[in-house]
Amino acid sequence: MTETIVFSNIVKILFVFVLGTAALVITRRTLSSLFTIYSIQSWFIAIIAMILYLNNHAVTLLLIALLTVASKAIVIPAVLRRIQFSMNIKRDLEFRYLTPIGSLLVSAVLVFLVYRLFSQYLLTISGDSLLLFGAVIGISLTLMGMLVIFTRRKIITKILGYLTMENGVLLFSLFIAELPFIVEVLIVIDLIMLIVLAAILAFGIDSTVEVFHEKLNSFTNWFRDE
Amino acid sequence: MDFVVYTLINTIFVLLISPLFMSLIKKVKAFVQGRRGPPLLQTYFMMGKLLKKERVYSANTSLVMRITPYIEIIFILVASLSVPLVFIPQPVAGIGNVILFLYLMVVAKFFMALAGLDAGSTFGGMGSSREMTFSAIVEPVVIVAFAAMGLVLKTANLHQMFGISLESALITNPAVLLTSVSLFIILIVETSRIPVDNPETHLELTMIHEAMILEYSGPDLALMEISHAVKQTLLIAIPVNILVPWGLTASPTVPGVLLAMISFALKGSLVAVIIGFFESMFAKSRLFRLPGLFMLALFFSFSTILFELLS
Repeated sequence: MTETIVFSNIVKILFVFVLGTAALVITRRTLSSLFTIYSIQSWFIAIIAMILYLNNHAVTLLLIALLTVASKAIVIPAVLRRIQFSMNIKRDLEFRYLTPIGSLLVSAVLVFLVYRLFSQYLLTISGDSLLLFGAVIGISLTLMGMLVIFTRRKIITKILGYLTMENGVLLFSLFIAELPFIVEVLIVIDLIMLIVLAAILAFGIDSTVEVFHEKLNSFTNWFRDE
Repeated sequence: MDFVVYTLINTIFVLLISPLFMSLIKKVKAFVQGRRGPPLLQTYFMMGKLLKKERVYSANTSLVMRITPYIEIIFILVASLSVPLVFIPQPVAGIGNVILFLYLMVVAKFFMALAGLDAGSTFGGMGSSREMTFSAIVEPVVIVAFAAMGLVLKTANLHQMFGISLESALITNPAVLLTSVSLFIILIVETSRIPVDNPETHLELTMIHEAMILEYSGPDLALMEISHAVKQTLLIAIPVNILVPWGLTASPTVPGVLLAMISFALKGSLVAVIIGFFESMFAKSRLFRLPGLFMLALFFSFSTILFELLS
């Protein structure tokens, strides 16, 4: 009995850290520290998967942990750093619609809403509070990722939003709806594709969408002249 | 009787230990910058020197300027009774209440802002204005953080909070861990440290706290500095005694109290070292960027409440 309490407390402390990293992804402006934060977040999720594996010995969980470390904690941040290096921007200072302060307040409200929604249904399905916890944190992480996509203007930070969202989905799936491992692998491959595509886009468009539109507009004018 | 002993021991101990943390932070910062830094007892020497000097007042000042140092130290020392550093006394009505503790500190802050305005210099006025602006923003955050802690520990009394944490190891409680993040941010904000304020300069662009006490000299300045140091010790003590209450005793025996003093000095020094490194890691933020830091604390407090609701 005490063993399960210790286990669930460790997992909950890791949730604290995951939530903290998500808050930092919303507020930080320096790109390199954003990548480090994302990498740390992925490490935490991998550790959560590892602890769950130690608890119920499902091999899929172990594989998910290893895959997360290999792809999201090591490869993807490294690729992102490379992109940043060749893009030659160090900070993302542009925000749209919401300032970081506003986004933090909104995300606190979102976490509460998710909690209100989930606590009604999940506790009737199972009395395990850890399950509810994982689900709430997972979905909140997804929504906070959306908030990042929504408020940031630079493509490279938008990518981090998508990646955070994916981490949220992974966390949710660890606790509620267990995905087949092959789906997990496909998601990781998709993520890598996403980054490669985004990199190509980012180079083409000088890192913000608006500049890209301007360029495209100049092309249409060009064709119209003929 | 018990409470009288507590008052004496706690007050004397907090007055003696506070300057140590101040110089320790300076020492750590100097170490990071590759300097040797002042000796650990430097702040004590400074206080001694200041107490021997004469007071100089501007001709424009009023009574406020003269009484503020005393009000400052009295309010902070009364507030310090709410935070047991070495042993937890029998409950006494009112002492230890979180709201009382916070607002005693706010009254001290209010008088400091008044004193900053009193001399009529632009520097002091600017410092007071900034201090009051930030205190208006940070006050809700502080209240929410302490309310979250009260919700987790099911009491609004700091003595009882420490008692509960003494009985059960709270370091494994995720909700408490979350509040301590908020409390650390509040510590940084309330004691005017980088990235909020730079305690080292007298440059008008960065000053908040230093600007308000610029007009003070001699013993008055010493009182202001000591009350600032005591306030910092109290804010260090709250997260420390809740997260790692080891050494804190419930009964006033001589060896127990001595052990508690040593253990608190060690734990507090550790936090001071962390603050020193934290200060060295960051640059002073722009003034308008600071609410972001406060909101981070608010976010963590909200999450604490959520964690408490969930478990």
